[in-house]
Amino acid sequence: MNEAVEIMEEKITKPESRILTGGQALMECFLRESVDTIFGYPGGAIMPIYDALYDYKDEIEHILVRHEQGASHAAEGYARSSGRVGVCMATSGPGATNLVTGIADAIIDCTPMVAITGQVASNLLGTDAFQETDVIGITAPVCKWNYQIVDADEIPAIMAKAFYIARAGKPGPVLIDITKDAQIALMSKPFEYKKVEGLPGYHPRTVPKMEQVEKAAELINNAKKPYILVGHGVLISEAMEEFRELVEKGDIPVGSTLLGLSALSIEHPNYMGWLGMHGMYAPNVMTDECDVLIAIGMRFDDRVTGDANLFAKQAKIVHFEIDPAEIDKIKKAEAPVVGDAREALKLLNPLIEKKNRSAWKKEFRDLEAAEHEAVTDRDLARQGKIKMAEVVRMVSDKTNGEACVVVDVGQHQMVTARYYDFKKPHSYIASGGLGTMGFALPAAFGAKMGAPEREVVAFIGDGCFQMTIQELGTIAQKGLPVKIIILNNNFLGMVRQWQQMFFDKRYSFVELQNPDFITIGKGFGIDGHKCEEREELEASIDKLLNSKESYLLEVVVEREENVFPMVPAGRSVSEIRLK
Amino acid sequence: MKTYTICVFTENSIGLLNKITIIFTRRRLNIDSLTVSETERKGVSRFTIVIKHEERDAVEKLVRQIRKVVEVLAVFGYLDEDVVFNEIAMFKIPTPLDSNTIDMETINRVHKAYLVYWGLDYMVLQKTGTEEEIFDFFKYIKPFGILEFIRSGRIAVGKTPQGLVEYLPEEKEWEYLV
Repeated sequence: MNEAVEIMEEKITKPESRILTGGQALMECFLRESVDTIFGYPGGAIMPIYDALYDYKDEIEHILVRHEQGASHAAEGYARSSGRVGVCMATSGPGATNLVTGIADAIIDCTPMVAITGQVASNLLGTDAFQETDVIGITAPVCKWNYQIVDADEIPAIMAKAFYIARAGKPGPVLIDITKDAQIALMSKPFEYKKVEGLPGYHPRTVPKMEQVEKAAELINNAKKPYILVGHGVLISEAMEEFRELVEKGDIPVGSTLLGLSALSIEHPNYMGWLGMHGMYAPNVMTDECDVLIAIGMRFDDRVTGDANLFAKQAKIVHFEIDPAEIDKIKKAEAPVVGDAREALKLLNPLIEKKNRSAWKKEFRDLEAAEHEAVTDRDLARQGKIKMAEVVRMVSDKTNGEACVVVDVGQHQMVTARYYDFKKPHSYIASGGLGTMGFALPAAFGAKMGAPEREVVAFIGDGCFQMTIQELGTIAQKGLPVKIIILNNNFLGMVRQWQQMFFDKRYSFVELQNPDFITIGKGFGIDGHKCEEREELEASIDKLLNSKESYLLEVVVEREENVFPMVPAGRSVSEIRLK
Repeated sequence: MKTYTICVFTENSIGLLNKITIIFTRRRLNIDSLTVSETERKGVSRFTIVIKHEERDAVEKLVRQIRKVVEVLAVFGYLDEDVVFNEIAMFKIPTPLDSNTIDMETINRVHKAYLVYWGLDYMVLQKTGTEEEIFDFFKYIKPFGILEFIRSGRIAVGKTPQGLVEYLPEEKEWEYLV
């Protein structure tokens, strides 16, 4: 072990006198950026890189996924649970195109990622060579940055740029396409690596302008009914402490966006729940009551605002945001503060007057009763068939609200957000912006790789599970325990709910004939069982959570359950429906 | 509908034109004209993009989206009154022996267009001016027959005391071409 550390240090500190190939140079770049995990899949055009990787297996762990989409989602899960840049790799052509869904998911959910793709040799570019595809063209709209390397000498500088861009400002995915000849070629000079900390065209402001902060503070201090919407940005910039200080000093109620979940513990007295299309009642309707809306690290997604013109139209908006393009994009901000959430809150907090706003907070609590009666109590009534809500709540109680929860997309995603009591940050990993079905299984595995010390529980619908089911193989091969719960209603539940509510119950292609998930799991080497009766539920969840290895629990739930509250798409939040 | 001139300064790299134009595509904005060339600073390109739009707000958002492209160094959006702008056009006119006499004096003095090439049976006239001026001249010259007509995109300089390149980030030692 000591020897290994020594060797690594030597590699990092001593200038490399040996001349490296492009592939080796790439590995050295990974080491300089402290990359310890890569999710990937080899193929023809990336073989020289994989050959170089063979000599670096002690320093860099490569996870062989079963489909490249799994690699990009696993890299996302890794990035989201660890806060580090997720790295994935694929070959040219179909390998590269399979990565695209995960890349698109990463850009909309601001996830730092570096994707490496192999490319045909540079003399074959543009000739329709075997497995050639214009990956730069394909991924340009979904990448924060992309670049094609055709010369091994470019590798160190471009990779330094790639990692900088992926994590700086608003994080996002960067794709680097490397031609096969550039991977094989020897560099013309010794390897040298210089980390990038700013570019002429990209140098996001982290510390905001003081006059912006002062204006924001003034609005907040003078507000009678201030209301904070906390988003993913607070988690990305690790501003949870500073955020809590603001909340407590100003005694301001907090609503969370879906991806802002777990930024503030559910136990905090100022936490009122999360808002959005299927969010909670009080946090939604109170956007129509507040006089100052303080948005921190969120971007007024249409699933949050409903009809944006009607959203919080009485309120003055204070918008903390690192990306200037988000300011005024959807909602005009009275006081925009452009900068990193943590830096901004550090400057803001000393200017905030200590207040007691218990009367205002009580208005939120008063509304909760209506939701409890109409939705929560019914969801948790433990009558009839098992409901998703009671499964999630039971897992929440048994993990003390401290697990890292990864969810797929659909009803179970919303139910998990509603009924899991998040007490630790970075605990709700979901595909929020893109709504990518099939996200959860590979992302849960990636999340476990990024935070091996945490219990990772994945809630997955029966439809979603079949989109990336092959990643069970990846999970089994690595052997890290991931706890998988399939909430099986035999339907594409969210689409069915919409068809029921808005399309006269014309159930168009939403019913599934499902395989025997448990046999499939066992075939991959993952133990599991199916639970159909309420009496078995508790023992089933215990078995899942107590398992030392990955475990697959299928819970058969109510087939035609609907998720409420619901703000119909494109309507005002005041039209929220409780049933 | 108002006409907007968007000036984009970028690093000169492969694929950048695509990265800029897809921002317009995604917002379903039609580009009226586009001119790209290297500036007096080596490695820095200047795009002049002309669009028509009804909402100033949407154009401002567009400008901010363009600014997000990593290789973009600066973006400026202008209304027509904020810029001095011109286009260049060339007209290929037939000149067989028995054709009407062309009134060179009117072409030169009234339309400020000039003869730039004289071939065996055609000539090429060049005219700079605004879109309107160019089409006025087009109408004038049309009766003589136009074999070929080409019009460039707009180029524009801002009515600011400094040149726009002065606003570019300073973090790099720029190498000047001239």
